[in-house]
Amino acid sequence: MKDSNMQLVKEPHRLDWSLITVVALLMTIGIAMVYSATASDPVAWYKSFWFRQIIHFTIGWGFVVAILFSKPRLWYNIAYPFYFFTLLLLMFVLFVGGESSHGAGRWIGMGLFNIQPSEFAKIGYLLVLSRYLSNTSVSLERPFSFVIPGLLFVVPFLLVLKQPNLSTALVFSATTLVLFYWAGLRLPDMFLMLSPVFSVIAAMSQLAWGGLMTTVFVVIWRRKLPAFISASIIILNVAAGFGSFMVWNSILKEHQRSRILTFVNPLRDPKGAGYQVIQSKVTIGSGGVTGKGFGLGSQTNLAFLPEEHTDFIYSVLGEQFGMIGCSIVILLFWLLMLRGVNICQIHGHPFVNMMVVGSCTILFFHVFVNIAMTLGLAPVTGLPLPFLSYGGSFVMTSMILVGFLLLLRFKGEEI
Amino acid sequence: MSLKFSDPQDQQDRNLKSLVFLIATGLASLFLIGRLFWVQVVQYEENQRLSESNRIRRIVIKAERGYIYDRNGNLMVRNRPSYQVALMPYQLREGDSVFNRLLRLRDTTNTRLVDSSALDYVFQRGKWQKFRPLRILEDASDAQVAFIEERLDEFPGIITIVESRRDYPYGTMASHAFGYTGEISEDQLADSTYINEGYSFGDRIGQKGLEKEYENEFRGKNGVKYIEVNAYGKEIGVIPEMEHEMASQGNSMITTIDLNLQKVAEAAFPDSLKGGMVAINPKNGEILALVSSPRLDPNIFSLEKKSLAKQWASVALDSTQPLNNRAVSGTYPPGSVFKFVTASAALEYHVITQDTKYKACNGGFHFGNRYARCWTSRGHGRLSVIDALEQSCDVFFYQCGLDVGMERINEVGRRFGLGSKLGVDIPGEKPGLLMDSVTYNTRFKRLGWRWSRGQILNLSIGQGELVTPLQVAAYFGALASNKGLYQPHLMKEIRTPQGQVLKQYQIKKINDGHLKTENHQIIVEAMEQVVSGAHGTGGGAAVPGVRVGGKTGSAENPQGKKTHAWFVGVAPLNDPTICVAAVMENAGHGGVTAHAIGKVLRYYFLGDTSLSNAKLKAAAEAQGNGD
Repeated sequence: MKDSNMQLVKEPHRLDWSLITVVALLMTIGIAMVYSATASDPVAWYKSFWFRQIIHFTIGWGFVVAILFSKPRLWYNIAYPFYFFTLLLLMFVLFVGGESSHGAGRWIGMGLFNIQPSEFAKIGYLLVLSRYLSNTSVSLERPFSFVIPGLLFVVPFLLVLKQPNLSTALVFSATTLVLFYWAGLRLPDMFLMLSPVFSVIAAMSQLAWGGLMTTVFVVIWRRKLPAFISASIIILNVAAGFGSFMVWNSILKEHQRSRILTFVNPLRDPKGAGYQVIQSKVTIGSGGVTGKGFGLGSQTNLAFLPEEHTDFIYSVLGEQFGMIGCSIVILLFWLLMLRGVNICQIHGHPFVNMMVVGSCTILFFHVFVNIAMTLGLAPVTGLPLPFLSYGGSFVMTSMILVGFLLLLRFKGEEI
Repeated sequence: MSLKFSDPQDQQDRNLKSLVFLIATGLASLFLIGRLFWVQVVQYEENQRLSESNRIRRIVIKAERGYIYDRNGNLMVRNRPSYQVALMPYQLREGDSVFNRLLRLRDTTNTRLVDSSALDYVFQRGKWQKFRPLRILEDASDAQVAFIEERLDEFPGIITIVESRRDYPYGTMASHAFGYTGEISEDQLADSTYINEGYSFGDRIGQKGLEKEYENEFRGKNGVKYIEVNAYGKEIGVIPEMEHEMASQGNSMITTIDLNLQKVAEAAFPDSLKGGMVAINPKNGEILALVSSPRLDPNIFSLEKKSLAKQWASVALDSTQPLNNRAVSGTYPPGSVFKFVTASAALEYHVITQDTKYKACNGGFHFGNRYARCWTSRGHGRLSVIDALEQSCDVFFYQCGLDVGMERINEVGRRFGLGSKLGVDIPGEKPGLLMDSVTYNTRFKRLGWRWSRGQILNLSIGQGELVTPLQVAAYFGALASNKGLYQPHLMKEIRTPQGQVLKQYQIKKINDGHLKTENHQIIVEAMEQVVSGAHGTGGGAAVPGVRVGGKTGSAENPQGKKTHAWFVGVAPLNDPTICVAAVMENAGHGGVTAHAIGKVLRYYFLGDTSLSNAKLKAAAEAQGNGD
């Protein structure tokens, strides 16, 4: 605690009001955007989306306060039970069946609330991986160090993938990678572990795959890993590359290839899958630098943009507040990361660190994928934008993560 | 380097990793901001333009269908406005309850304005066709439209559209000739030719008769206009800088139908009887009147779906088949009407002369072990060909037919258009059938029947062939005029909506249809005797002062009920301008039909159908000089 970095934090043991401010600012923007996206709905104010969102936020802050009253140790202790509970929920929606929204069965109806088990799973997985990795480091030099965290990862990953909920599966993957990094996995090693996945994609072009393989060889040579690991990585890459090439060119039919390409680049299909993305891009682009002004977005007011108050809320912001407004929101999210990661400099406990970085990763992954999607850079996977998108379940997840950040800064020493 | 639970992570390590994390997220953020710059600054103009064009709706203005007139310029088929209430699916909002609120709408009689299953179908379809209006309420009443229009704000996504629909002011009059329009069917839409022609879901298209045959003339050219719309689909205004394309109405048609003659023909044909009647001008093939009974009111096809479905069911399931155009699609044995073919063939091939007499008719004829009856058991005695035709003696034609043979009889029949389609310009025409040994054997092979010469007995008196009323009118007219067989047609002229003539029907001689002059004279004399001779069977068709020829016929029908009654009349015999053929199902003897045709002919020549005998005589004297 005598590190020079500590100058950043004058009083470590207190509420992080700047983080609260950042979140509150984002929420305010969010409510304003939900209001402007749905203002033309002819419903009473107390039934409107913006008012319901305020209620969600209020409940969310309730979660935060409750978490602040808990001890960090509690979360460490309940990590496994909570994790297995969420697995049960996931299996419940998958095999027993839940209510379906947009065709995918992801919900469990509970009368008053609909809960989405995959949201719980994000928290459960964060807790369990943080706990495991706070006691054990991982390294490519010891491949067996990946067995248990790998199992912890694969089960919920496959369960949500089966729903199908690719976006949540990707959230698990991102969390895993960052926490592995924190738990000792070196960046070049991470690259080597991921390289077979890259190979699958790079196999589309011989040049790209050649480049990738060259890089893999260079990294392996520099890392001087055990021979069998190096060999395995190369074999996996070659297999993945050729397998992908064969599947793509011989097994997949033209329409299947087309579907995959359209998923990756929705603009290929402007009337179908690409419609939302194109409208979103046009909506954001038409905002220009300063935007059309609050409530003056013709795209949103004329209802040309579907799902505008949920997944595409960022487009509403872009149209009305332009590049300035959009950049401020991105900056706020980055400040959130800054405030979060800052905790790692105050508290050294690995569980605290893992939880903090994991929470930040989950939030930022949503931010990045969602914004990239509205800008036509990522597939439409249905990841909402934290604090801005309308929707109860994800607000709760976000607020629980914010609660963790506040709690760990407040009481990180006590663990 | 396994960590113990209480070991704090190395501070430097944490700082480095935090820095990496912040740099990574910072770079990702900068990447997004870079993309924002690209989309919002570099591509600003383009996106601005696209966002503007989003507010603009391209509206197809459906062209009005061309009108149909009779030959004297009476408007027979026109259009009326029809209001549709439709759903614009892309304007629906997630979670909105428009569906339920629409279901709650009730009219004054407390019945639901929209049917829930139909509405469900529309909303389901709307998931796929977001940018096309989908109809909820068809042919809505003025009150319904006003009600919806006032509440557009409460129903985002609901719009009203005006369409024009076919209107047939004379109802059933010549309805089988005009046909009808209907909504384009799923099958038609699955056919790429319709798609290429620019048809789309909900379009109305000619489905029968002239409406179908001349669809391309009537449909016109759709126009386009661009209007600004708000979130509720309310049209805010036209956009002046966008170029509009006006819809142009389809061409109109002058038909060969004569409304007044048609009225007389319809009145003369009893409602209670099934059958068909065709009046044709043998000189050029113009169809002056076309009746098919039972009648059909084509206005039902312009009704909204529910009423249409009811009406449609009543006409489609009706055992009398009112949808069937019996005048061109109804095939009947010609009966004695065919005897003129047998006689002509006998004369043309020199089998008989005017004076040839066969074995006397005692009411029947022995052929092998078979006894073929004449239609009257009293018998006709020994007759020449003219007398045999006048009295329609079967026994004469049994013997005559056996001498001539079916090949030669059929050759003459084909000369006058029997046994094949005449190419009339409405769909559904049937070719009929001429029978010879080869046709017989192939046709009845499955039944194990073999041709025998005995078949000639039936065939030479017209039992066994199949003809349509149109064919009979065309054949008899050509036979009487001896100037060739002209293609029957209903289209006289195609005109622009402004009345400029675009096309005229090119009269087409489809067959030589010619007899040697001396034979023709014998035939014409016989025709006249049928109507005005002492023993003639067709006296009912007489027109005072006009030389009318004709022939009765009774077609045996396989159901074994009363025979179908044929009559065909042609006049004036020295230079025929009208030939009327009619068949009345199960009406018995051709004499009944002759009276109906007489009315048509009397109207055609004298302008009256209800002349008393005194007036008839007076008229005869006034007109009679020329004949």
